[in-house]
Amino acid sequence: MTGRSMSDKCLQKLIQERDMLGMMVETFTKTSTGANLHFVPTKAFVDHHNEIIRRYLTGEPFITSYFCCAPEIYTAMDLPWNTFLTPAFTGALMSAYHDEIDASGEMFRGMDLCTIIRLAAYIVEEDLVPPPTAVIAMIHPCDGINVVHQVMAKNEKWSKIPVFGADPPYWEDERSYEYYADELKKMVEFLQKHTKLNLDTNRLREVIKESNKQIALWQEFNELRRAVPCPHGGAMGLEVFGEALTVHCGMPIGTAWLQDVIADAESLVKQGKGAVPKERIRLFWFDVLSLGLTLGLFPWLEQEWGAVIVMEMFGYAPYTQIDTSSEDSMFKGMAKRALHEVPMIRQARGVADYFLSDIERVVKDYKIDAVIFPGYMGHKDGSANVGLMREKCRELGVPFLYIGMDLFDDRYTTLDQLKDKCSTFFRAMGLG
Amino acid sequence: MATKVKSRAKTKSKALKAFTTAAETIVNPELKKWIEQGGKVMGYFCCYAPEEVITAAGMVPFRVRATGSTGTDLSDAYLSSINCPFCRHAFNMGLRGDYDFLEAVVWLNNCDHVRRIYDNWRRKVGTPLAHMMSLPKLTTDKQVAWWREELAILKDTLEKHLGITITDAKLRQAIKTHNETRRLLRQLYELRKKANPPITGAETLAVVVTSTAMPRGEFNQMLKELLHELKDAEGIKDYKSRLMLVSSIFDNPKDVKVMEDMGGLVVTDSMCFGSRMFWADVDEKAKDPLEAIARYYLQVKPSCPRIFLGFPERSKFVQDMIKEFKVDGVVGLRMVFCDLWAGELYMLEKDLQTWSIPVLHMDREYLMGGTIGQVRTRVQAFVESIEKARR
Repeated sequence: MTGRSMSDKCLQKLIQERDMLGMMVETFTKTSTGANLHFVPTKAFVDHHNEIIRRYLTGEPFITSYFCCAPEIYTAMDLPWNTFLTPAFTGALMSAYHDEIDASGEMFRGMDLCTIIRLAAYIVEEDLVPPPTAVIAMIHPCDGINVVHQVMAKNEKWSKIPVFGADPPYWEDERSYEYYADELKKMVEFLQKHTKLNLDTNRLREVIKESNKQIALWQEFNELRRAVPCPHGGAMGLEVFGEALTVHCGMPIGTAWLQDVIADAESLVKQGKGAVPKERIRLFWFDVLSLGLTLGLFPWLEQEWGAVIVMEMFGYAPYTQIDTSSEDSMFKGMAKRALHEVPMIRQARGVADYFLSDIERVVKDYKIDAVIFPGYMGHKDGSANVGLMREKCRELGVPFLYIGMDLFDDRYTTLDQLKDKCSTFFRAMGLG
Repeated sequence: MATKVKSRAKTKSKALKAFTTAAETIVNPELKKWIEQGGKVMGYFCCYAPEEVITAAGMVPFRVRATGSTGTDLSDAYLSSINCPFCRHAFNMGLRGDYDFLEAVVWLNNCDHVRRIYDNWRRKVGTPLAHMMSLPKLTTDKQVAWWREELAILKDTLEKHLGITITDAKLRQAIKTHNETRRLLRQLYELRKKANPPITGAETLAVVVTSTAMPRGEFNQMLKELLHELKDAEGIKDYKSRLMLVSSIFDNPKDVKVMEDMGGLVVTDSMCFGSRMFWADVDEKAKDPLEAIARYYLQVKPSCPRIFLGFPERSKFVQDMIKEFKVDGVVGLRMVFCDLWAGELYMLEKDLQTWSIPVLHMDREYLMGGTIGQVRTRVQAFVESIEKARR
């Protein structure tokens, strides 16, 4: 007996999120084309929430972790993981977290600390998230994430939960990959010790092979997004990321869904159909997407301006296949993926060069008409590249818009202000 | 009416005048002399930068500040309004040519703002050598080994760039020199433990700032003179409370004076232009000097908030300081837009409450000129509240 119940305070936000996602699932039917492609990933999140709730109640192991901490390992260990930053994403969808966002600002005596970090720290401090068996901390790519895990470790309840953070080197070279592969091996030792689950090398190999297939499919999907008009907008890019690197990472169900997405995109391309009836502007959104944007700004951009998010930071997939021939090669491959390839970490962790080279690659490959850097208030490192990004865009002859917004608090820059900024920019640049 | 803390040593001490003047400028007279004689200077942005390796390369390590900056007109084209004001001012000075005297600059991935200055600086400022180092966020022996490799890469880079050889003997001599600086600075802090310290917090900060801005041999000599002068100096009696500053970069003695003018004598700190720079020494007897330096920076010196899960030790450091220096209240200063220090001060305030130590949290700009009135009012109220509680 764990003495835990469904009425525990720490479960209530998770239940609220699950129910909201559940309502969305009910609006989709289980087919493999069109809007119903959203069924599988959304249902996966509902199932995932239920599994976390179940494990919390029974005391079976689950962990807190992230998409960039080698999730292939968790799949191979059959170990569910929960990202406690998720409420900020769903909160942005619902605009239901304003009170918590304000309270978190008071907690940190200021609102300039990254909202998602503030909110995450707040929900831990206020016991609004179920405590996991163990925490795999992410201590890059930004200062904020390092902070939130230290705050978490000081929290009375969470201080009793074992925590592991893999030390991230700043470089992308063989030395760094080997160093980080060793960190991942230490992470496995830690997980085995605290969850009592084992990592079987052959099972890991199977998962990575499946993950490799997913990555290949993701890249194929991205090839199709080069088409004019682009078959799918930014929301689908985010879902593809979510399937390949989170809930269905290395699982055949995720692979099958990706095949459906490709089939749908292929069909649309063959028919010459785009995400909007008349595509006029092709955009590269170079930052995180929040669900709020995919339901607010992006549909407006499509309807008002025929502007489609053809590529976004989280949809871009410059991945390499992981060599599964040996345990060492698999860990090294996962290290490379975690340090150098997964979105946001790739750009934000190390030197600024990937901000610039990714812009160059995407603008050329996807026939981009304009690059939008939203300048999320939490992404201080990215905002310190804004001049370099502008220069790169100038060199490429593509207009660049820097907004300055909070992806998770729609009061910082309101939807109307965002629309106004985009319209002014498009008009000034003669786009659309 | 607030009681102004008055220095007892200032009027007598030539050394203190020199330190105060040096802290008010970028190129102080001793550094100017060094440069005029053909000496080279290497800039750095963080107290984790291995000064010893720079000194062993025959250069003066110079911690970049934005002293005297009046704006960010040039850097605003590259950085955004949510970036650290220190970085914006310092990069602006780089763009303006104020740092053209530097032969090289070294950065670490110490925070999101400073590490990006490297990306911008190497493209936009004509410093002959811009070098980045990967500083671990953990502190086990594995990280020491990594950091030692990074030091070796820096050493090789400097050797190639300058056409020199940095021998172990040179490294050992540099370690000795910098350890002497650290020991002397600790001696200075030791005097502040007295009931009537002979030096103010503003004056001390001027000394510490200067320790990062001039040839260390000359600095050590000047500090010895000051220590000699202070030995018998009359102590400061007319203060109301003893304050400790906890902060990231805070390098303007005039800002400390503003607080001290409100009656709060700053007697110690946990700052990176302060005790965290020199509260321990590099092992001079270690077999491998590079490893000794690596170990010092990761495992021996007091850490900063970027070191993961290092808070308990940092908190203990503050607690020890409070006891040793008989601190009445702590002033926590956070540069706006600094995520690391937002978390650190949040956690520290919890501990300070547990220890029943009053704390004043202030968010600050790099140039505090525009907010000085607020600072005065808040510090005055803080000092008065401490007094009231004491009664």
